[in-house]
Amino acid sequence: MPGRAPGSSSPVALFVTCLVDQLFPHVGAATVRVLERAGCAVNFPGAQTCCGQPTFNDGFWADAAGLARRFLDVFADAPQIVVPSGSCAAMVREWYPRLLRDEPAQAERARAVGQRTYELSEYLVRVLRLTDLGARFPGAVAYHPACHGLRGLHLREEPLALLRGVRDLRLVPLPGAEECCGFGGFFAVKFSGLSGAMLEAKLRAIESSGAEVVTATDVSCLMHIAGGLTRRRSKIRVMHIAEVLAAV
Amino acid sequence: MNKPRPAHIDMVANTKLALQDADLQGALNHALVRFRRLRTDAAAEVPEWEALRDLAGEIKAHALARLDVHLTQLESRIAALGGTVHWASDAVEARRIIADLVRTRGVRRVVKSKSMTTEEIHLNRALEAAGVAVVETDLGEYVLQLAGEPPSHIIAPTIHKSVAAVSRLFSEKLGAPPLDDPEDLNRVARKALRTEFLAADMGITGVNFAIAETGTLVVVENEGNARLATTRPRIHVAVMGIEKVLPRLADLGVLLRVLARSATGQRASVYVSMITGPRRTGEADGPEELHLLILDNGRTRLLADPDLRDSLRCVRCGACLNVCPVYERAGGHAYESVYSGPIGSVITPVLEGLPRAGDLPFASTLCGACAEVCPVKIDLPRMLLELRARAVRAGVIGWVDRLFARGWTFAMSGPARLRVVAGLGRLVQRLLVRRGRIERLPYPFAGWTAHRTAPPLAAQAFRDWWRSR
Amino acid sequence: MSRDQVLGRVRAALKSAEAAPGNLMPAGPPDLPRPQAFADPLTLFAERACAVGATVDLVASMDEAARRSAAWCAARAVRRAVVWNVASLAPVRDRLQADGIEIISPLLVPVRSWVDTVAGADAGITSAEWGIAETGTLVLACGPDQPRLASLLPPAHLVVLRAGRILPDLPALFARADALPSALTLITGPSRSADIGLVPVFGAHGPMAVAILIVTG
Repeated sequence: MPGRAPGSSSPVALFVTCLVDQLFPHVGAATVRVLERAGCAVNFPGAQTCCGQPTFNDGFWADAAGLARRFLDVFADAPQIVVPSGSCAAMVREWYPRLLRDEPAQAERARAVGQRTYELSEYLVRVLRLTDLGARFPGAVAYHPACHGLRGLHLREEPLALLRGVRDLRLVPLPGAEECCGFGGFFAVKFSGLSGAMLEAKLRAIESSGAEVVTATDVSCLMHIAGGLTRRRSKIRVMHIAEVLAAV
Repeated sequence: MNKPRPAHIDMVANTKLALQDADLQGALNHALVRFRRLRTDAAAEVPEWEALRDLAGEIKAHALARLDVHLTQLESRIAALGGTVHWASDAVEARRIIADLVRTRGVRRVVKSKSMTTEEIHLNRALEAAGVAVVETDLGEYVLQLAGEPPSHIIAPTIHKSVAAVSRLFSEKLGAPPLDDPEDLNRVARKALRTEFLAADMGITGVNFAIAETGTLVVVENEGNARLATTRPRIHVAVMGIEKVLPRLADLGVLLRVLARSATGQRASVYVSMITGPRRTGEADGPEELHLLILDNGRTRLLADPDLRDSLRCVRCGACLNVCPVYERAGGHAYESVYSGPIGSVITPVLEGLPRAGDLPFASTLCGACAEVCPVKIDLPRMLLELRARAVRAGVIGWVDRLFARGWTFAMSGPARLRVVAGLGRLVQRLLVRRGRIERLPYPFAGWTAHRTAPPLAAQAFRDWWRSR
Repeated sequence: MSRDQVLGRVRAALKSAEAAPGNLMPAGPPDLPRPQAFADPLTLFAERACAVGATVDLVASMDEAARRSAAWCAARAVRRAVVWNVASLAPVRDRLQADGIEIISPLLVPVRSWVDTVAGADAGITSAEWGIAETGTLVLACGPDQPRLASLLPPAHLVVLRAGRILPDLPALFARADALPSALTLITGPSRSADIGLVPVFGAHGPMAVAILIVTG
């Protein structure tokens, strides 16, 4: 594994996210494997629950603020926090200060913690300066750039650089890649028709790309895409980027 | 002032209807894919495009920051040029002012060029009630007037109408023969409208920008009807929201550079009329009287709100509509208001109130495509979120959302609670999970499974796996 | 009074916005960029004007401009033309008159029938104050001898522009301190619309054809 000297481990607190914790634990396990291979000493503060994004996005800011304060308590002493989700990382970095605007001390804490919070691919590429994790994943892979990561965290090159560093992986272009998949949190249920129509367009693009696997930085988008592919009885597999990077 | 409670805009129902309309879906997709490409190409041609957007945004921010000064300066310049400035607090007043002008000047026929602001104040209805014939002269607006429909897009109002539909309309209303060539249809409309222009007493237009420094009104268009409306009739009335004023003539240079490219991908619109006062002595044409109507109608509410004020930067280019995946499928009519798409979803709840328009900010995935293309850098997703919070605080949100929020907050309040709730979930889902997935979720989550399967809760949560490792 | 109400609300709005926490009011007007500098503004102007459907011809002198104008009118079977009554267009006016074309001028037409007369013309012929290279735009100023409708009502518009009057971009135009006429019109190509079926068509309400003669001499 290039670049990592033994004993040079950076301590990292993992915020695994509610969806990964309860629905896709294997993504969390893969994230741990990837971080350890990158030389990190991973800690999982067990008191963690949710960053508050679902309630925040639906306008319930008082509720979300409670979860935000909780997050800040749980991760108060964490040196660096890594999150296998662009939208959750964006929530903490971009929105906690606004959410806690009326409590200056909390807002200050939020700013400080936000500066130490990273989405996984962002952490690997920008902080650890790694693009090769010794992974091998043969197959045609399409990358879907989830909106919050793309436009919120400006994650454009990082996930692609990591995927290119995977041996035998063939990255196929995804038509209309930057178009939203249609998940949007509660939108998927409330405006299910619109969500379904946007999903339909994304699925058509994925199928036309010739990919065997579609990957992204967010399980929220992925579970929505996977649900659609399953309905169509598609053979295309859906994997979080951590799973691809953890493959050997 | 007791107004009847305005009807609530049901975005869920409206979008559902729109999705069922195959013609609409086809027309929207066709048009928007094209507009997106045109805008992208036009922006790509300008290497300093991002810097230009920043600058355009800053110019507008500065214009708004001293709006009172700029408005009064504009007013005194126009008065010095022999024009008249009127101020209207709201739509009722605006209509009254124009109706008075019509009455005192003996106006019988009015030609109008496209203006969202005049739509906003429901001007046409009031003029017709006053016995004045009003003719919309933008080809698209003319088509809609004949058809009795409202526009569905800021820039391309007839985006929802096919050539065949227009031909049928012209046959029916103008006695034209059936035509399938847009060029022929255009000739029919041009001829019909020429007669109107030559007979009109008053021309009413909107204003794209008003320059405080010089008292200049700027009207941007491609067809030439605004030029005709501001030249031929003896009276020109320009209707403008307070936010349209720019401090300096030089500011216009930047705004014009981003406007057309963002709207239609053109380097420049065909006509930019810069009107500085009415006709001067010795001139053969031009209006004898120039009137500017400055309209508030709720804009000061946006101005007072630090989180939403930047929405007043809007130059009405339509780029956010063109790029929005929701607008692409909903179309303009679903929003039931003058301003649709992302910008409409921000300003309508403020201008018309949350009880009526509280659904609009939720009809979005917050993908951010709109903010990426806005030429004046309005952070629309941020504003949509702010409005969602206000909608919740105002109590206009339904019980399903509140139930979800309560339930979620409870479950996530600590690992012990989460364990209990998730454990219950794992029990209940045994009724729903088949072959590793859920095909049918019960009300009120059935919308999810209408279009995709749902993942089950994993047998072992990550936190438990971590503990056992 | 509405004026006081609106201005009062504007002032109150700005005060409350200023007082809000975290509010960053801009300190002053932003610096504006300098006009661009193009190596060959003339060629760029010609390219950009053609790209929007105008025709562009270069002529070495006003005499040649007069000859070209006459040819253009003949090709379009122009019988009546509105021509701006400016000194710079005198050679063109004289030549067209010699060719038997009726020249319509506001001074000679009763005010009442001015518009109808112009509406019945086959062409409008004007000069342009400036050209804008970046967009292929003509800048027309109106005046007593420069009626607005000449470039608007007739189906065809011919414009004479001096090469030395081509500016790089709009900022260059607005950086000048010239007094503004009652109507300054920026014209970029023939009138157009795509409102019917999204198919672009020339000559929606304004001229269907715009011909530009650039005088280099």
